[in-house]
Amino acid sequence: MMILKVAWRNIWRSRVRSLVVIGAVLIGVWSFIAMMALSLGMTGGYVDNAIRYQTSHIQIHHPEFNEDKELAFMIEDDLTEDLEAKSEIVSTAYRSIANGMIRSSRSARGVAIKGVIPEQEERLSQISEKIVEGTYFQEDKNNQIIVSRELAEKLKVRLRKKVVIQFQDLNKEIVASSFRIVGMFSTGNTMADLASVFVLQDDLNELIGKDNALHEIAMIIKDVEQLENVQQDLKSTYPDLLIENYREIAPDVQLYESQIYVSLSILLAIFMLALIFGIINTMLMAVLERTRELGMLMAIGMNRIRVFFMIVMETLMLGIIGAPLGMLIGWLTVKYLNRTGIDLSGFAKGIERFGMDTVIYPSLDTEMYLQLMVSVLITALLASVYPAIKAIRLRPMEAIRKL
Amino acid sequence: MAVIITEQIEKIYNPDKVPVHALRGVDLEIDEGEFTAIVGPSGSGKTTLLNIIGGLDTPTKGKVYIAGTDISTLSGNGMINFRKDHIGFIFQSYNLIPVLTARENVEFIMMLQKKSKKERDQRANELLDAVGLHDKKNKRPMELSGGQQQRVAVARALASKPSFILADEPTANLDSQSTADLLDMMAELNREEGMTFVFSTHDQRVIDRARRVITLIDGKIAKDEVR
Ligand SMILES: Nc1ncnc2c1ncn2[C@@H]1O[C@H](COP(=O)(O)OP(=O)(O)OP(=O)(O)O)[C@@H](O)[C@H]1O
Ligand SMILES: [Mg+2]
Repeated sequence: MMILKVAWRNIWRSRVRSLVVIGAVLIGVWSFIAMMALSLGMTGGYVDNAIRYQTSHIQIHHPEFNEDKELAFMIEDDLTEDLEAKSEIVSTAYRSIANGMIRSSRSARGVAIKGVIPEQEERLSQISEKIVEGTYFQEDKNNQIIVSRELAEKLKVRLRKKVVIQFQDLNKEIVASSFRIVGMFSTGNTMADLASVFVLQDDLNELIGKDNALHEIAMIIKDVEQLENVQQDLKSTYPDLLIENYREIAPDVQLYESQIYVSLSILLAIFMLALIFGIINTMLMAVLERTRELGMLMAIGMNRIRVFFMIVMETLMLGIIGAPLGMLIGWLTVKYLNRTGIDLSGFAKGIERFGMDTVIYPSLDTEMYLQLMVSVLITALLASVYPAIKAIRLRPMEAIRKL
Repeated sequence: MAVIITEQIEKIYNPDKVPVHALRGVDLEIDEGEFTAIVGPSGSGKTTLLNIIGGLDTPTKGKVYIAGTDISTLSGNGMINFRKDHIGFIFQSYNLIPVLTARENVEFIMMLQKKSKKERDQRANELLDAVGLHDKKNKRPMELSGGQQQRVAVARALASKPSFILADEPTANLDSQSTADLLDMMAELNREEGMTFVFSTHDQRVIDRARRVITLIDGKIAKDEVR
């Protein structure tokens, strides 16, 4: 169409001025993509870590266990067969948990003592992969304990030293026993790492005084999209148990997820606003310096609808040609950074404590690129209205008078 | 048959502040096939009259009939569309769309009239040949001389098959050779195609070529001679 041709060529009349706008859009889109990918990479890492090392996807407890953390609130039903039969559930771990103290000769701290079955945890929580000193649980040894390196530092103990754990048993009697540190782990989340220690379930249950004591069932499912369905299914089968997903267990994860989206949206709004002003400014200049020409066009018979359309098209083209290129560069940047990762260990002291990885792998869904493209399009469309109105308000006679 | 009729046109600029009486009752009739010059001293109202006839401006009083239509009845967009189909314009300068080639400029107005691509191509070629620009069809206005640009403007004005062509000092920016060439061409189109031309000018050589000369003085017709 001829008007499109005119609009397109008009953009290139003030090459530098147009290139500034196009460059601004390009850099804006590019940096926004990088920013978004970085933030989502951070969140993703945080959420993944939380799921992997702390919450799993779904946990089952006695409904009162979470509040009181008392040994007495056990899961009495035997769910083993039932859970194994469910194909959506990939792996499951059964734990007994005692809340008590860990003591060294130098210091003491309150912790959750988790009695675990090593093979199950290996499949589920991957703590075994985060052993930084010593080993994971070894066979045929009693009273092994795995603590985090941070905790060991607080307690001022070293590998293969003994520590004492103590808590109230089912009869409210204090029980204590000494354990030898066989391994130390570090997941990156200092706060969480300080809060738990791992022992063999048989050892713990012996202290508790009940050999089938069970407080927590944690599971990982195949497809996170199905999270709510699986949870609902379990809830209806076991109405007397508390069945929570990871967002409910760790509300901070959800908060974090939603906060990232809020701040990204605000950022996008600011970017769009700046873009609107930039585009309007450029297009107003373009319209004003073409007053005579527009007057001539209306004199010879180009009606207002067509003039309006021409200016809108011109603005749209100007506003969006930078976007695909910005997206391409953004996509390449994200792809590259996703491969290499961004090492934040320089700031890690602060970050690690909040459970984030020190290396971030930015990533972005295709959907986000589409959303951004639509945002740019809407921005350009909004920006086009004012200059186009300005153009059709011109009175041809007055415009031509200026000849 | 009269293509233009004006009845007692008056034009007062700035009626509220410092009123300027640009036209004081102009009665005019221009027939098909005329080759008419509007002359007069600077400030006598030539441009004002042409703008009113062309529907670019409205008279303070009086009526204008173009091809039988009272143009005061037309609204903004209606007036623009009317101009597109009935009136060809040649201005002193800034006639052409700078980003389009000569051929595209001529085609543009036919595009506005929704003519087919084939018809546009053919007519643009014919017209540019007729105005002597067969080797400049793909040049943009910047690459053409003032005289050549005015020829493109003539071709563009003809392209829409208007009832008449209005030209306000079309030769003001041209040297004498280009002026003579442009006038030759307009006269030929007038003779052979019967196209009606109404133009204003200060240039005696241009006035000499006109077959009817209307002289305005102080917004009134002082003399109207047919040769
Ligand atoms: N837009 C306007 N506002 C106020 N006064 C105007 C306007 N346009 C023209 N005039 C005045 O109206 C009168 C007629 O002007 P017009 O331009 O029609 O004269 P002209 O015959 O075309 O003159 P020239 O030969 O210099 O082109 C002049 O006094 C001029 O100053
Ligand atoms: Mg004038």
